Amino acid sequence: MNLALRVNGRTIHADVEPETMLVDVLREHAGLTGPRVTCGVGLCGTCTVLMDEQPVSACILMAPLAQGTEITTIEGIPEDDAVVRCFDRHHAFQCGFCIPGMVLTGRAMVAEGHAADREEIREGLGGNLCRCGCYLKIIDAIEEAAQ
Amino acid sequence: MTWIQPTSVDAVVRARAENPEAIIVAGGTFLGILVRAGMLEADDWISLQDVRELTRLQSLGDLSIGAMVRHRRLELDEDVRGIWPGIAAAFRAVASPRVRNVATVGGVLADADYASDPPSMLVASRAVAEIASVRGSRRVPIEELITGHYSTCLEEDELITRVIVPRPQGPAVYRKLRTRSQEDRPSSSVAAVVHQGTVRVVVGAVSDRPHHFADLCATWRPGNEDSAREIGAGYAERIEYIDDNRGSAAYRRRVVAVEVRRALMQVSS
Ligand SMILES: Cc1cc2nc3c(=O)[nH]c(=O)nc-3n(C[C@H](O)[C@H](O)[C@H](O)COP(=O)(O)OP(=O)(O)OC[C@H]3O[C@@H](n4cnc5c(N)ncnc54)[C@H](O)[C@@H]3O)c2cc1C
Ligand code: FES
Ligand code: FES
Repeated sequence: MNLALRVNGRTIHADVEPETMLVDVLREHAGLTGPRVTCGVGLCGTCTVLMDEQPVSACILMAPLAQGTEITTIEGIPEDDAVVRCFDRHHAFQCGFCIPGMVLTGRAMVAEGHAADREEIREGLGGNLCRCGCYLKIIDAIEEAAQ
Repeated sequence: MTWIQPTSVDAVVRARAENPEAIIVAGGTFLGILVRAGMLEADDWISLQDVRELTRLQSLGDLSIGAMVRHRRLELDEDVRGIWPGIAAAFRAVASPRVRNVATVGGVLADADYASDPPSMLVASRAVAEIASVRGSRRVPIEELITGHYSTCLEEDELITRVIVPRPQGPAVYRKLRTRSQEDRPSSSVAAVVHQGTVRVVVGAVSDRPHHFADLCATWRPGNEDSAREIGAGYAERIEYIDDNRGSAAYRRRVVAVEVRRALMQVSS
């Protein structure tokens, strides 16, 4: 089927089977490699994108379900974004693999007022795994961005 | 291969009647995993994404939840949190925000995975599903809808259109026991809802479907620790448990006794 998806403010077209996952359309048809597949079952968060401002797992989202929504990947976030700057200031990463998902999830939490304290941030990040174990600094960064 | 996006319930049930093999897609969180893993193939898909009437949430009298209402909306809606706090808590307990932003009420019920959070609370709250097909519509209590692991009483061509939850008259408590990580499915799922002085305790996620034992609940003396302990022991005894990565059958038998007792003491206070 022919899909027209709104991604980072522009329209991308892809001729794919309905079973194609959104992450594959983003990576293979739009060249956006920020979302990446690790677990492939919705658990770890490295494939996170925002769908109408809300984080979702692009690894298990059938691409046609994204029609009519606004998708944002890490590539669509300006470099001077407050959350990105806080990650930078706190050196809240090592290898960086999980960071697109962490930043996008953190941004949604901050935007919606769900980052009131460290406990709430911890809970909101419950489904985002960092194999380098940078959690404390990631929480520091989001906490500061929320202030 | 076809993917259709009807815009009304009528059009969906007609499409289902014509092609019962076609698969309904709601949030797609459950289907997405199966498809990605190559465990499910289909020629035809019927997506509910454009059916506006299924996204309605009404809280004027009873709570009416359209089948396409997302978990996250029930978790955050002011009326649901204020009047049906048990429902808000059970949906909030599901996985991570990424799953709750997408997963729907119709999806979790039709899917009937034994290890889900909402079913025990929906049964404890006396919720009823409204189901439609070309033959008309019918209402089925959630405890009759879910008949076992991955099985429901839905006919091949039927669609869940909404879930109705009566207005509660007393407190409700949802207790999810996680044994591995925060976003994990429950090792046990206990819901207790008080209605006009009587309690309905429902235990989910430990066997093939949620369990409610009215005779045990009838013995409840609110605030009495011994009574709570006896009912807990009764539940623990009667259920046939599943062994899985989240807990052995023996472990579950022990925690169910404790979790039921705690839930009963919590709804007493
Ligand atoms: C990583 C991960 C973690 C999870 N953790 C939890 C957890 O902790 N607790 C928990 O409770 N759940 C958990 N889940 C399960 C999740 O909540 C379910 O996958 C979800 O509720 C299914 O809803 P959906 O709208 O995505 O359904 P879909 O995947 O769209 O559909 C599920 C099934 O229901 C059918 N269907 C959907 N809607 C209807 C309808 N209206 N009428 C008839 N049939 C219909 C579909 O054909 C399909 O067979 C988890 C899922 C994931 C991916
Ligand atoms: S790759 Fe999508 S959640 Fe892990
Ligand atoms: S920084 Fe390496 S996975 Fe998080």
